Amino acid sequence: MLLLIAPAAAVLVLFQILPIVIGANASFRDWQLFNPKETWVGLAHYSYILTDRVFLTLVLPNTFLLMFASVAISLGLGLGLAHVLNRNFPGHGLAQTVILLPQMIAPVIAATSMRWTFNDQFGVVAALLRWIGFGQIAWLAERWPSFLIILFTDVWIWTPWFTLILLAALKSLPREPFEAAQIDAAGRWRTFTHVTLPMLRPVIGVCVLIRSIDAFRTFDQVWVLTGGGPARTTEVFSIYAYIETFVNLDFGRGSAAAIIGALIILVVAWTMYKAVDRLTNVSR
Amino acid sequence: MARVGLEKINKLYGAVPAVIDVDLLIEDNEFVVLVGPSGCGKSTTLRMVAGLEEVSAGIIRIGDRMVNHLAPKDRDIAMVFQNYALYLHMTVYDNLAFGLRNRRVAEATIRREVMRAAEILDIGGLLDRKPRQLSGGQQQRVALGRCIVRHPQVFLFDEPLSNLDAKLRAQMRIELKRLRERVTTTSIYVTHDQVEAMTLGDRVVVMRDGRIQQVGSPLEIYSRPRNRFVAGFIGAPAMNFLDVTLARIDGQLMATAEDLAIRVPNEQTATLERHRTEAMTLGVRPEHMVLGDPRAENGTGFDATVVVTEQLGAELLVGVRVAGAIVVASRVDPWTKLQANQRLRMSLDPRGLHFFDRESGAAIR
Amino acid sequence: MMAQATTTVRGQALATAWLAPAARAALMLLAVVAILLLFLAPVVILVITSLRPGWAVYYIYRGTAFTLQNYLDVFAKPAVVRAFINSFVLATLATIISLGITVTSGYMLSRFSGPIPRAWFGTIYLFRTVPYISWVLPLYLVDYYFGIYDTYAGILLPHIAVHICFFSWIMKGFFDSIDPSMEHAAMIDGCTRWGAFVRVALPSAIPAIAALAILSWLYTWNEFLFALILTGHDTALITVTMAQFVTELGTQWNLMSAMAVLAMGPAVLVTVFAQKYIIQGLRI
Repeated sequence: MLLLIAPAAAVLVLFQILPIVIGANASFRDWQLFNPKETWVGLAHYSYILTDRVFLTLVLPNTFLLMFASVAISLGLGLGLAHVLNRNFPGHGLAQTVILLPQMIAPVIAATSMRWTFNDQFGVVAALLRWIGFGQIAWLAERWPSFLIILFTDVWIWTPWFTLILLAALKSLPREPFEAAQIDAAGRWRTFTHVTLPMLRPVIGVCVLIRSIDAFRTFDQVWVLTGGGPARTTEVFSIYAYIETFVNLDFGRGSAAAIIGALIILVVAWTMYKAVDRLTNVSR
Repeated sequence: MARVGLEKINKLYGAVPAVIDVDLLIEDNEFVVLVGPSGCGKSTTLRMVAGLEEVSAGIIRIGDRMVNHLAPKDRDIAMVFQNYALYLHMTVYDNLAFGLRNRRVAEATIRREVMRAAEILDIGGLLDRKPRQLSGGQQQRVALGRCIVRHPQVFLFDEPLSNLDAKLRAQMRIELKRLRERVTTTSIYVTHDQVEAMTLGDRVVVMRDGRIQQVGSPLEIYSRPRNRFVAGFIGAPAMNFLDVTLARIDGQLMATAEDLAIRVPNEQTATLERHRTEAMTLGVRPEHMVLGDPRAENGTGFDATVVVTEQLGAELLVGVRVAGAIVVASRVDPWTKLQANQRLRMSLDPRGLHFFDRESGAAIR
Repeated sequence: MMAQATTTVRGQALATAWLAPAARAALMLLAVVAILLLFLAPVVILVITSLRPGWAVYYIYRGTAFTLQNYLDVFAKPAVVRAFINSFVLATLATIISLGITVTSGYMLSRFSGPIPRAWFGTIYLFRTVPYISWVLPLYLVDYYFGIYDTYAGILLPHIAVHICFFSWIMKGFFDSIDPSMEHAAMIDGCTRWGAFVRVALPSAIPAIAALAILSWLYTWNEFLFALILTGHDTALITVTMAQFVTELGTQWNLMSAMAVLAMGPAVLVTVFAQKYIIQGLRI
């Protein structure tokens, strides 16, 4: 049995555990990327980050906002789409294929496409706006429009994931409660809220948990769309850590940022897991 | 309370017929059981009455009103499902109230009805619990409660006891009968279990391959089955069948087989003689097979070899080989000592002989 | 159990919906088509842009000039071609190598219980939660230390580590759904545990392994963050190469799109032809 996992364990140790340990170690030291003095500085990096205005007023709120908004919107859309796709209609197979695409394409490509589409001079959206008579919107030049684009891209990529999983869950629901609801004169909406949703709660809980943890570490889309700009206003946590390490060249501080982020997500994940567990038990 | 009429009901799935020419009139307050093997169309028929399946041809009437185009909620019916289909996240009280609330009934009325149903079904103490916290029997009673609160014209039952273990099933059968005493409503009950059919139904409808085979009271179906299928389906242990040929021997009409010669009773001689062929199947229920030949003058004795015995405590089941087949005798004294390959003298009760045309399976009376 | 309350008999005479059923169905269909178009749009926009000659890109529309010249130009750039080759080799190698480990890892997680599998399970689960940035920053140094920065090994091994953590689940889930009695029967018939695995469990796992292979391959092909940090000139990968082109000023969007479309290629092909495998694998 051990033989089965020995090579895997070795790879994991060397390329995951070791780096994390090194990172943890570095976070307490003065460690410039090209001048590793490695002198112990205790919690200096941590206190710097936790009092850094950029971190507190921009990075953390951005990251959490993105996380909540993206998950909530993709969940809502995914649920609606799954509900609609649950019937058989002509073109069903095509719909299935189209739904898969955003998940299979690289996030960088999705972001690239969005960047082009929302190009304020030549993009398709700009053309549409001009056609309506609206005017130009400098999407990527200001904080909130940029954030919206990032959110839009994230929702574009992840709604299909929710849709697929919820669709599978919907298909596996027993039909009798629905028939009982029919006989009980429950309308469509009531059936949805009182029969469908409660039965879907466990699946939704797990999906939200997994996707939230994932959303916290978004990097690719933000990097390609805004690089954290303009002026760091759309920076999220993973970008912050990256910039500290490879732009400011401060490995120690970057590692501290990464560790802080890891701790935050661990706490968030733990709380959410507990909540999901309670939800699941209620209906089990 | 109303009559339910099924007029020439047909159901096709694509080109495959599931229900064929079903004609049935269920009287007001009657409890009718649809029974038959899997795939015989009984559930489909029930679901058509409920409105959960579309009718391919034919008319369904509830209370003399044609309901083919009405949604289930408008047919004034209530249904109990095999898997209970309770609303899992609602309390028992809310489960019972759901249908009434959707119909905008006043809360005070709802409360009164729910309490009444809870009292009848003895689930008053469970009203605050969620279905997950209840046992199978309790859940089924809540499902029954859901029906009662609405005072519908018809109750529909779709194999409600199939998910319960044998002991619980027996208990629930009795509870259903007691419920019937307090709440009489026209009811249609579907099951594959012939014991349920016999014990619960005022009338029993035996179905097979989409068609009705026979309709009648339990005793009627049991003692005068119309064809071989009904005869073999109802009653446990099942009726024994032997392929025999009719022949006149010494002026007597006899049913003969390899080492078997049974005298046909006088009452049945005339009908059998008129029948077009001599190839028959003789059906005898296990309780009409007797060890020994106490009334040799009946001419129904024969010799057989013991093959197997099954001890039930209250009786002994004896399987014997005769005429190339194995037949079972029941109600044998459990203390009888028998061994495999022992030769026995046995006889048939002449009142329990059923003759079926070997080809068509129809009973010849 | 098949789901979905059967649509019942609705008579025209007695429809009480405020909107006739036919109109409601049409509205639904319209909404579905709109959403599907939305999912398709970014991809389509990229494809169309990639087919336009350079000058047409800067006049928004109203051109019917289409050309394949962009693709030829893209292939003419040695950096791009090299990036494609690198990505392809990396993805293929990573998938092949990790396949063996992931499958056996998933099998072990499914069939064995006890402290070791539980520890393994916990480890993999933990590393699925930790944000990439926390370990990829120090990984940069680890790679340097081992002298494998900007080599295939340097990015291959970390990817294998990720494959193990992410995709053991698919195999575990799959083996969980297979009755172990067949393997027990094989072992009673004289097989060793390993033999039972290879001869009984593995053959029925082929569809899951296909899903696994596809998802692993696409993951590595699409990956960005690791590539950004751990590769340099020698092992440039397309995702990074693309991103670099985008963030430059004055991007040639027609060439950019051509490159993006080529990078999307495998994903689209797989989506169209290997759909059911992917769907199986995407389930949590």
